[in-house]
Amino acid sequence: MQPQPDINQYKELARRYGLGPTPESVSRLTALVARQDADVDEIVRVIEKDPGLSARLLRVANPHAANEDEYTVGTVEAALLRNGIGCALLLAMGTPLSLALTKTFQTMLSLKLESVDPNELAGLVGEHMLGSIGFIGKIAGHVYLRMSLASARTVAAGILGIKPEEIGGRDEISDVIGELSNIMTGNFKSNLCDAGLDCKLQPPKVGLSGDYSTPIEPGGGIERLAFRAGDIHIFVEVTANPWNE
Amino acid sequence: MAIKILSVDDSRTIRLIVGKAFKPYDCTMLEAGNGEEGLVVAAREKPDLIILDVTMPVMDGVTMLTKLKEDAVLKVIPVIMLTAESGRDNVLQIARLGVRDYLVKPFKEDQLVEKAGRCVTLVKRAAAPTAPAA
Repeated sequence: MQPQPDINQYKELARRYGLGPTPESVSRLTALVARQDADVDEIVRVIEKDPGLSARLLRVANPHAANEDEYTVGTVEAALLRNGIGCALLLAMGTPLSLALTKTFQTMLSLKLESVDPNELAGLVGEHMLGSIGFIGKIAGHVYLRMSLASARTVAAGILGIKPEEIGGRDEISDVIGELSNIMTGNFKSNLCDAGLDCKLQPPKVGLSGDYSTPIEPGGGIERLAFRAGDIHIFVEVTANPWNE
Repeated sequence: MAIKILSVDDSRTIRLIVGKAFKPYDCTMLEAGNGEEGLVVAAREKPDLIILDVTMPVMDGVTMLTKLKEDAVLKVIPVIMLTAESGRDNVLQIARLGVRDYLVKPFKEDQLVEKAGRCVTLVKRAAAPTAPAA
């Protein structure tokens, strides 16, 4: 089948503008989920081609196992049947979200952000900075970005190219965290739309919060990610219902 | 004469970073927080270059770009999109409206300056004279 003219035109524009491609497994999996009538075997084949995604899906399907030897759910197919296709999509979407966040730190702060198991990272205590952005359309959900106020101050100063003590106030920190959430979610939303899950972003909400609960959309799931760069600990949660409409 | 650059973004952070990127050059920076304000500033100041975000409250970047291209005077101003959105349909729509370039956030200041340099002639500011030794 010949590619559509729009695809060719987009590829040409992407080359000219220097836009990065979406990971193949993410595009294919999202497109399959968007179809709603996709064959489970087809989805299994896409996931199995991505070792990282397969490993994460199996880990989620075996929540009480300390290591792979303790897995009771041992295949991608069984994990998919146990967790659902929506969970696999969320796990897959975690990849571009992680890439967007790590790239932002690398590009704008020259900091190498390391992706870690959320359970391995010391959790936040008390009030923390929370940035959240909703997306709504064929898929609906939220992306939450959490970090301590001290980390947020360091991140804000780094992005603005000033010293932490030169930060004007909470509003300045909030604006940077809002933009960080916006960059991360904008990249994520682009991948969803490209794969057929059209959605629009809502404006970011940023503020101090002591609430660690994460509301999940009806019929949806949640993916938790964590990152570390020295003393900076960042927690990201994505909730989504891929069959909103 | 200094080049006039208009940064249209709802994020003060991005406007600050854009301003910092062009600080070494002989530029006058103008700012707007959404497309509606951007059109007002563009009509008043006739900037040499507009750096435009997509997702903004009040009026988004695509609407502002459409209105710019409908205006006989403003349509010639080169526009660089600076956005986190790189979705296929967005890029195609924006390219068809007529933008000079497209930069996806996160970005390095150097990348923005390089793309701007393809639209306007950027001249380095003369170094400030140093005070004579006492």
